[in-house]
Amino acid sequence: MIELRYDSGTLIASGEAPPPEPFVWDGRTRQWRAPANAYRNTMLGLRGSGTPHEDRAARFEKLSLESRVSLEPRPYQRAALAAWRRKDLRGVVVLPTGAGKTAVAVRAVERVGRSALVVVPTLALLKQWYSVLTDAFGGSVEVGLLGGGYHEVTPLTVTTYDSAYIHAERYGDRFALAVYDEVHHLPAEKYAMIPKMLLAPYSLGLTATPERPDGGHALLPELVGRICYRLSPEDLAGTYLAPYELIRIPIELTAHERYEYAQADAIYRDFLRKHNLSMRSPEDWQRFILVAATSHSGGREALLAARRRREIQSGALRKGVTLESLLRRHWNDRCIVFTKSVEEVYAISARFLIPGITYETPARERKEILDRFREGRYRTIVASDVLNEGVDVPDANVAIILAGSASHREYVQRLGRILRPKDGKQAVLYELVTSQTNEEFASRRRREAAV
Amino acid sequence: MLRGEHVMARVLRGRLVPHRLPTSDRRALDVAAELSGLYAAHRDRPRAELEERLAAAEEELGPRLDPRRGFRIVRALGKLLEERSGWAAPTPADPYTVRTRVFELAAAMPELPSEEVGLLEAPTRDEVLSRVARETGLEDPASVMYADRQGAQLLGAFEEPAPEELLGRYNVAQVQGVLYGARELTVDLGREADARLVFHYVKLMDLIYRLETTGRGYRIHLDGPLSIFGGTRKYGLRLAKFLPGLLLTAPWRLSAAVEWRGRDTTLELDSESSDLASHYRGPREEGREVNEAFVRAWERARDTGSWEMEPGPGVLPLPELKTALVPDFSLRHAGTGEVAHLEVLGFWSERHLVDRVALLREARRRGHRFLIAASEKLGAAPEVLAEAAGGEVVPFKNRLEVKAVLRALGEDAAPDV
Repeated sequence: MIELRYDSGTLIASGEAPPPEPFVWDGRTRQWRAPANAYRNTMLGLRGSGTPHEDRAARFEKLSLESRVSLEPRPYQRAALAAWRRKDLRGVVVLPTGAGKTAVAVRAVERVGRSALVVVPTLALLKQWYSVLTDAFGGSVEVGLLGGGYHEVTPLTVTTYDSAYIHAERYGDRFALAVYDEVHHLPAEKYAMIPKMLLAPYSLGLTATPERPDGGHALLPELVGRICYRLSPEDLAGTYLAPYELIRIPIELTAHERYEYAQADAIYRDFLRKHNLSMRSPEDWQRFILVAATSHSGGREALLAARRRREIQSGALRKGVTLESLLRRHWNDRCIVFTKSVEEVYAISARFLIPGITYETPARERKEILDRFREGRYRTIVASDVLNEGVDVPDANVAIILAGSASHREYVQRLGRILRPKDGKQAVLYELVTSQTNEEFASRRRREAAV
Repeated sequence: MLRGEHVMARVLRGRLVPHRLPTSDRRALDVAAELSGLYAAHRDRPRAELEERLAAAEEELGPRLDPRRGFRIVRALGKLLEERSGWAAPTPADPYTVRTRVFELAAAMPELPSEEVGLLEAPTRDEVLSRVARETGLEDPASVMYADRQGAQLLGAFEEPAPEELLGRYNVAQVQGVLYGARELTVDLGREADARLVFHYVKLMDLIYRLETTGRGYRIHLDGPLSIFGGTRKYGLRLAKFLPGLLLTAPWRLSAAVEWRGRDTTLELDSESSDLASHYRGPREEGREVNEAFVRAWERARDTGSWEMEPGPGVLPLPELKTALVPDFSLRHAGTGEVAHLEVLGFWSERHLVDRVALLREARRRGHRFLIAASEKLGAAPEVLAEAAGGEVVPFKNRLEVKAVLRALGEDAAPDV
């Protein structure tokens, strides 16, 4: 007779005979111990050999889940789910951004019909999944949140990688299925601990890009299972992803701004030259502040000039006016404005009286805003980076980017936002860039990287 | 506690030296005082404004304090001050309701509400806002729209530390920060140290320990359940939270295996030279007077049979329970070498009593001899206690008599003291 117990992210076996691998004798507490994820194979082994055993570890619940949302699964989504089932409910599904990975996961949760934990990389996704799962299963189960200030664990809980790393050992016995969104984050030293602390015999990983530059993806089979289904963006292009038009609007500074900018810029550059400073990375900026703050001659002025420069760039008058005219033009469209900073979201929200979404927005309010946006009760929303990484806003057909930072990935994923299939919809993407300042450089880099 | 990015240390021949601000450093004291002052002067003002001031202070004070690390030092001090602050909402109105109403009304307009009144009689921003003002009775709804953001909160309570105190806290916090990356912590605890206190924190932080006896006391290895499958930094945070508990007692030495910026290093500290002060208050110990009085009485006693009091109590490991029982006193018979432990139960709360008695029973089950001195004020009858703990019980009123203890130990002939 072997008895299994869950203990802080590990599995304890007791009985007359020593338990099988990978249990090891823990001399500290005088027990046989294994990582919690040994549960699946241990149970299969015990059952297979007919060894009498008692499972006091698992505290999964059966859930009768039936999605309230009628999802017409696209053929490849159905195929992905079938492939995952063939691999005994353990594996990674690779689908391009915008192909509806979430829908696959919702089906998987429904299919397994037991308590499930969804692990996501960002607070924005935490809130996004909360809203998707509430839509689907809110009638039969309360969706829980763990992370970002929330600590409500229910049989269907969404958490972040960071929170799961900290808390999984407390709740690792409660979930039969673990879903890892953007699963390429998992093979990091810290996060790889998460599956080890979970009993979850079933797991599903989702991503558009499983490969990691550090080779970490080699760990995925052990952590979640092998890739069981894969579809590339080319497989989808044209058929499912809506085409879009990119319109780039250069924002000229006004004469007054140009004058002020040139002055500030001169002081700033002068100082850089005098002190032999370059400006290529965030560390360079730190060094500049350091030198300026300790310098006796002209340091303070250089700091102020640098700040003024940035203010002019981001606060350019014409940018605001241009935005206003675009919002007016698209008042009857479904439009999303993306900003560079959280503060800008609140400024625009208060100025144009349109709802803003940032990482600060509470999950329930965020869901309400997006729901109303979908229903058409809100015409326009403004958001900072939070709508990145696979957040689903199906009905948006206009996006306006207010100079984001120069990052390849971010740019592509932002484009992905409006690349949602909708019959015959021509999506438009505007990019507002202040010319003659270094935002132009960032934009160029972004587009080059995107090609 | 600091965030990872505030933590600074250097590596000297494999040894990790956490950053430190000497409490005698005039400039550091000035910066500490200035930052505390910034907070203290900011009562009832919004958080965003304070953050701006702090950012300015960072650029101004930082480089003067330390050319390379000044920014981070100032930021770290700010974080520690933040922990001493309480924040309050700036308005009794519910910003969520207000803004939702504003957005609804605005979205219902046939056109984007414009900021200026035009010739075309298009809807304006003011129209929307004044309608919400009428509905809610708020004077300026726009200013309330996002009043629930963190930056809008007002500083309420602030516990202003003396500059030396802040620097002391900083020094401990840096060591704690280094421990975030620890895989294992080894503590050599001197016999005179309060082992009971140490195990209180081991248990509280849910750590797993291994205990060895050394010539001078005990060696405790600390990590967590998953550590046996290969060292992990997962328990670093708990080890960091354990540290101030250890600082409440002395003497000790500690050594931790720490991964620092990708390198394997060792952190070594001891109570003699570390000059670190705990900010933990320690567990509430009730009725210590009884114990102190008993020690004095024991020392004065002319005859204690052949029983001698050990300089420190024994540590009885209870590994399955992830803790150890540290009794109040351990007594050794000079002739036979037999050891008996004495546990004084004073005015304990019921929960504490139940926990403690469970440990005593467990220790007895392992063959340790125990006497339980139970105060009459405890409210539990001696028979019940004896039954529950499975041991001999010595009842006492206000003070625990040496004679009563010796009698229970079997020294019937104990003379009056």
